[in-house]
Amino acid sequence: MTGLRPGPFATALAAMTAVFLLLPLLAVIPVSFTPKRFLSLPKDSLSLRHYQALWTKPEWGDAIALSLQVGVTAAILSTLLATAFCMGLWMMRPRFAGVMAGLALLPMVAPPVVSALTLYYFLRTVSNWNSLVVYDGWLGVAVAHTVMVVPYAVVIIMVALSQVDRKIDLAARSMGAPVWTRIFAVILPNIRFGMVSAFLLSFVLSWDEIGVTLFVTSIKAITLPRRMWMGLRDNVDPAVAALSVVLIVLVTIVILGRLIWQNRSPRNSR
Amino acid sequence: MHKHFQQDQVMMLKEKLKSGELSRRGFLQGLALLGGTSALGLSAGSAYAADKEMVFVNWGGDAIEAMSEAFGKGYAAETGVKVLYDGSGPLEGSIKAQAESGNPTWDLVDCDPFSGQALGKLGLMRPIDWEIVDPGKLRDGFQWDYAANSYFYSYVIAYDKTKYDTPPTSMADFFDAEKFPGKRALYKWGVGMWEAALLADGVAPEDLYPLDMDRAHAKIAGFKEHIGAYWGGGAESQSLLLNGDVSMAIIWNTRAMLLDRDTEGEVAMTWAEGIIAPGSTGVLANNPAGGKAAMEYIAYSQAPEAQAKLFALLGNGPANPAADALIPDEDKFYNPVDPKNFAQQTPLDMAWYEENYGAALDAYLGVISA
Amino acid sequence: MSRLLLLSPLLLFLGLAYLLPLSGVMLQSVTTPEPGLQNYSAALGDPLVWSVIWRTLRVCLCVTVLAVVLAYPLTLLWLKGNTATRVLVELAIMIPFWLSVLSRAFGWLSLLSNRGLINSWLQSLGIIAEPLTMVRNEFGVVIGMMHFLIPFAVFPLASAMRSVDDRVILAARGMGASRMRIFWQIFVPMTKSGIVGAALLVFVFSLGFYIVPTLLGGGRSVMIAELIYLRIFQIPNWGLAAALSALLMVSIGAFLVALIKRAGVSTT
Repeated sequence: MTGLRPGPFATALAAMTAVFLLLPLLAVIPVSFTPKRFLSLPKDSLSLRHYQALWTKPEWGDAIALSLQVGVTAAILSTLLATAFCMGLWMMRPRFAGVMAGLALLPMVAPPVVSALTLYYFLRTVSNWNSLVVYDGWLGVAVAHTVMVVPYAVVIIMVALSQVDRKIDLAARSMGAPVWTRIFAVILPNIRFGMVSAFLLSFVLSWDEIGVTLFVTSIKAITLPRRMWMGLRDNVDPAVAALSVVLIVLVTIVILGRLIWQNRSPRNSR
Repeated sequence: MHKHFQQDQVMMLKEKLKSGELSRRGFLQGLALLGGTSALGLSAGSAYAADKEMVFVNWGGDAIEAMSEAFGKGYAAETGVKVLYDGSGPLEGSIKAQAESGNPTWDLVDCDPFSGQALGKLGLMRPIDWEIVDPGKLRDGFQWDYAANSYFYSYVIAYDKTKYDTPPTSMADFFDAEKFPGKRALYKWGVGMWEAALLADGVAPEDLYPLDMDRAHAKIAGFKEHIGAYWGGGAESQSLLLNGDVSMAIIWNTRAMLLDRDTEGEVAMTWAEGIIAPGSTGVLANNPAGGKAAMEYIAYSQAPEAQAKLFALLGNGPANPAADALIPDEDKFYNPVDPKNFAQQTPLDMAWYEENYGAALDAYLGVISA
Repeated sequence: MSRLLLLSPLLLFLGLAYLLPLSGVMLQSVTTPEPGLQNYSAALGDPLVWSVIWRTLRVCLCVTVLAVVLAYPLTLLWLKGNTATRVLVELAIMIPFWLSVLSRAFGWLSLLSNRGLINSWLQSLGIIAEPLTMVRNEFGVVIGMMHFLIPFAVFPLASAMRSVDDRVILAARGMGASRMRIFWQIFVPMTKSGIVGAALLVFVFSLGFYIVPTLLGGGRSVMIAELIYLRIFQIPNWGLAAALSALLMVSIGAFLVALIKRAGVSTT
């Protein structure tokens, strides 16, 4: 490990921030074991009923599957679209680059409720012309999510590209490398991390998206947040907390698993 | 009923398509022959109608299960039309977006009567068909052109009994932090709060409307330091009292009832000077299942037994006065429109809200967020 | 040709799926209820709008600065710490993503409210006598929003920090530069695009929040996104809502351009 190492002050600040980020777990983990049917801290007894509900009630499983499907689709679409677009801007420096970037970032700048209305009109209109991308259908939701998350992917990839040394690309170009070689052999390897981040961010944003989803779905395409929000006027189902705990355990396993994997093959470590 | 006929044709074509008698191409040609309905036939909306389904949009949570139990199942058994409940919340703007498209996917909505009226006057709702819906099964003064009264709820005072020796008995008590110390909570969207403030300020119930907004807002502004939170949803209002963040709040009677039961009486409620609000069912113009089926659903839901069932499940007061008597004696206290309770309360004036709600809410938000 | 192939998919996609229907919605600002600019003058002349904009700016700027400042050392530790720290930090960054907004809000309320965990601890330890009011006010809103946004700020920062050439740092150290100097005069400037990207992401994201302020602000902290929500859904006045949105979008656009120009980062 070379380069800059964080000093004691930075480490302390970072540790505080990490603790802050994990603080809500103090409440969320106990809540998932409440015996009551609404979000509450358990007092006398603990219960696994909300974990059981995740298994036994098919609507939770269906919602998770749908959210995964929508999230992965939206993340793939937005990462691909954003990568191509940003490389286009970076390599070609076209005229009106500012206007193009503005359009790409527009869904992020518009108030979410306006986007909800906009995408509702879009999906209702295209529902008349095709039977795949439709209102209240999974692909329709995925397309709507792609619109909403693609600006974030664009920002991440722009940042990644702005760190790439233009001279490498210029060298490749002056040696007569065709555009596609420059992209696949020179630029893409340099923004790999940015692309992974963009994918992850897009997925997470889609996974949690509710504002637009509420408006472009009705009774068929019930994503996970949509299922959670159904109860908002009444009680929030503690199964929501149980699901959070399950997901957190999974994420922890993945992160630790990767660590063990990396330690087995030390040459691969970052 | 030309449209019904067309839908029936579409349905037959679809069935043939399903059974393989007809190719997709043939199906589309058939639709084209029906003229102008090709888009309609493929959109999600009419697919519901063709499968004899109807979409009712309500506010989610327990209401989905309860309405399905009280109305939907029985209606389906009687007519063969399955009612699907979408809990995404039929906000006035959402209904507008649905109806303005010309071919909505929603049929029925659980809306405020003043919203139904406002939208209806824009041509976005079907007028209630009083040939099918029975006006005799509704209370006097709760009938509107575009919204059929379906239940009642109230804005009532709920309070932490452990904090007070004598219970509050009026809105004046609620707004009196000397006699009843402790934080309060009000409804964020204003409805019922203006009435409460004016009653506390000495306005007689019969003189409430038209509401004196300046006076109401002055009363609320002067009391602001004692208000711990403004709740925006039922669950929130409940947790405010449960967590001890406030010791008195004006909340929905359905929530007050749950609190009373969950805390075994530690959080109690009073009907004194409560504000009665009617809930209603509206039908979207051009709804996919057609006006007749939707009106028949409303008519079905008027039955006293169905109304009493909704009360048992949610605590909503029956729209049909004949249902009051079906409620078991031990539960009568919780019925917001039981004659004994009704007499202590004042109903909201829907005509006033239809005219003034927008401006009033703006001013109210200005007062509470300042 | 290749330019077209790279740029057009996204532009076409957003143009058709977004810009076109959006124009229809925004057009209402000058057509509904009647043609003219009265919606704009109404929006600008409304004191409620101004107080809401002022609160939104105050809260969002505060959240942006805090989130980026706190995310920076966190990202540094994530990338440059030893293995154990890296794993712990990575957990802290990744875990909040999987807590739904609802469970988080509930978590904060149970931690910070008057009878909440933190107040009970502080009181039982004798540090405070009366419970501190930490939630159902702007403080609660800032806490909730920061918690949501810090992990998002980490990504652009990490993306920028990863590409800082370690040899530059080694060279500076070799020339005898102090640790502070290396950090402030070399490392931070080299990650400027990440800082700008993170600030942009967090700020713009925070402007659209309305659920967190509603749940943690005690109903008082009405922000611009909620006001527009109100005008579209609660009491529909689409002309006014569109005018308000147009004003908001133009100001954000101007702000972004200024930010990018000032930071001197060429993102293209």
